[in-house]
Amino acid sequence: MGNSNPSSGKPITIRDVSKIYESKNGDLVEALTPVNMEIAAGEFVVIVGPSGCGKSTLLYMLAGFSKPTDGKISVGADLITGPDIDRGMVFQSYALFPWLSVAGNVEFGLERKGVPKTERRAIALQYLQTVGLQDFVDKQVSELSGGMKQRVAIARAFATEPSIIFMDEPFGALDALTRRFLQKELLRIWQAHKKTVVFITHSVPEAIFLGDRIIVMTARPGNIKSEIRVDLPHPRDTTSDGFRNYERRIYADLDDELVKAFDLEGRAAGA
Amino acid sequence: MKRIAFGLRGVVPLLLAATAIVIVWQMVVVITRAEPSLLPAPWSVAKTFAHLVGTGELLIDTGVSLARVVSAWLLSAIVAIPLGLAMGRSRALERIVDPVIELFRPISPLAWIPLAILWFGIGETGKVFIVIIGTFFPILLATVAGVKSIDSVLVHAGQVLGCNTPASLFRKVILPASLPSIVVGLRISFGTGWAAIIAAELVAARSGLGYLISNGMEILRADQVLVGMIMIGVLGVCFDAFFRYLNRRVIWST
Ligand SMILES: Nc1ncnc2c1ncn2[C@@H]1O[C@H](COP(=O)(O)OP(=O)(O)OP(=O)(O)O)[C@@H](O)[C@H]1O
Ligand SMILES: [Mg+2]
Repeated sequence: MGNSNPSSGKPITIRDVSKIYESKNGDLVEALTPVNMEIAAGEFVVIVGPSGCGKSTLLYMLAGFSKPTDGKISVGADLITGPDIDRGMVFQSYALFPWLSVAGNVEFGLERKGVPKTERRAIALQYLQTVGLQDFVDKQVSELSGGMKQRVAIARAFATEPSIIFMDEPFGALDALTRRFLQKELLRIWQAHKKTVVFITHSVPEAIFLGDRIIVMTARPGNIKSEIRVDLPHPRDTTSDGFRNYERRIYADLDDELVKAFDLEGRAAGA
Repeated sequence: MKRIAFGLRGVVPLLLAATAIVIVWQMVVVITRAEPSLLPAPWSVAKTFAHLVGTGELLIDTGVSLARVVSAWLLSAIVAIPLGLAMGRSRALERIVDPVIELFRPISPLAWIPLAILWFGIGETGKVFIVIIGTFFPILLATVAGVKSIDSVLVHAGQVLGCNTPASLFRKVILPASLPSIVVGLRISFGTGWAAIIAAELVAARSGLGYLISNGMEILRADQVLVGMIMIGVLGVCFDAFFRYLNRRVIWST
C-alpha cells in the first residue's frame, strides 16, 4: 500500500502550548507550562515523565480532543481544530468497539473513509495478518486476551493510513513478555509504513528501544526537561553499553523530577 | 441440543411453581368449601379457559390489549430513545428536561386514567395515552443511563476513526454502545405498559383482557376473572423471556 495520504510528510509544530484545568472545586490546575516542540515527519518520538506531569494532556491536545489554554499546535500549515482520521490513536485501555468483530473494528475507519466493502475487508485482513491475528478475524472482542486486543487496536490505527499515530502508554497494561513482543511488532510496522509516531511510556527501556528521540518532561506543571536523540541502530540490544548509557542519562533526569513530583503531591495532600 | 436444554432449565422452575400454586389453590377450595362463584376450583377455571378460547373471546381480547400496548410502547420508544441519546450527551438539555421528568415520574400512570377518560373518552386514544405515560420514562431513563455510562475513550476512538460529525458519532458509536441499556429499558417498559393497559381497561373499556376481568366481576363470574388474570401472568412471562432472548442474541456483551 503506497503512501497515498496527501497530508503525510508534514511536521507537527507545538508553539507555546499551555493547559490549565479548572478542577471541580474551582481550583486552577496548571498541567502544562508553555511547551515548544517540533516533530519531524516520520519521526518516532517518545515522551517520558513523572505521573501527572501532563503527558496525556499534551497528547489529547495533539489529537484534537481538547484545546490548549494558550498557544498553537499545527500539522504542516494547518492548525489542529479537532480530531481527524489522518491522526490515529492507540489507547492504553484498547478502546475496541465491543459490538463489532475483530475485523469490524479494523474496518471501522475504512468504512468512514468510504472504502468499498470488499476492499475494506481485504485491507483489514492484511493488517490483521501483519499483527498475527489472521485466525481471529471473525472473533468477538470479548474473546481476546489483552495483548491480542492491543494488536487489533494497532491494526485498526494503521489500517486507515493516518500520517500520524499517537500512543498513550499502549503497552502499560500488558505483561513483560507480551510487551516485548509488541514493541518489536510496532517497530516493524512503523519501519514499513513510516508514520510519525508520538508514544508515551513510563518505561525507560521501552523509550530507548523504540524512539528516535526521547523527550523527558518535568514534574507538574509539565515542561520539557531534556531531549535525547537515540543514535543506536535497530534492532537495539537492550543489554549493550550504548543502551545502558542512555538509560543512565534518562533515569538521572527523571529522578530529579520524581522527587519534585512526590514533593508536590505530598504538599497537596497535606494542605 | 444445548439450546433446548437451556430453554428447559428456564421453564422447569416455572412449571413447578405453577403446579404448586394449583395444588395450594385446590386445597384452599376443599378446606374452606369456597363458594364456586367467588373461588372456583382450578378445574372449572380450566374449563372456562377452554370455552373462552373456543369462542375466540380470549384471543380477541388478548389481541386487543396487546395491540394497544405495542403501539403505545413503540410510540414511546420512537420519542424517548432519540431524546435520551441527546440528553445523555448534552448537559444543557439534561438540565432542562430532568426536573420535568422528576416531577412527572412519581405520578403513576394509573393516576392519569381519570384525565384520560375526561380528555379522550373510552376510545383507543385514551388507552394509548395511558400506556405511553407508563412506558415513556423507563425507556428514557435507561437510554440516558446507557449513554452516560459509555467510556469516553470509545467516543475518542470513534472520533479519530472518522466520525467527524455529531450524527455519525451517534450512529456509529453512541447508539450501539448504549444499546444493551436501551433494550433493558424496552423490556422494563413493556412490563409497566402491560400493567397499565390492564388497569386502564378495568376502568373504561369494551374490549381487552382488563375488560374481560371487570366484566367477569360484574356478572359474578370469578372463573372468568381468573382466566383473565392467568392470561396476563402467562403473557408477562413470555414477553420477558422474549426480551431476554433478544438481549442474548442481538446484543453484544463485554
Ligand atoms: N479533566 C481534568 N480536570 C482537572 N484536572 C485534570 C484533568 N485532566 C488532567 N488533570 C490534571 O492535570 C495533570 C496532568 O494530567 P495528565 O493526565 O496529563 O498526566 P499524565 O502525565 O498523563 O500522568 P500519567 O503518567 O499518570 O498518565 C494532573 O495533575 C491531573 O490531575
Ligand atoms: Mg496519562
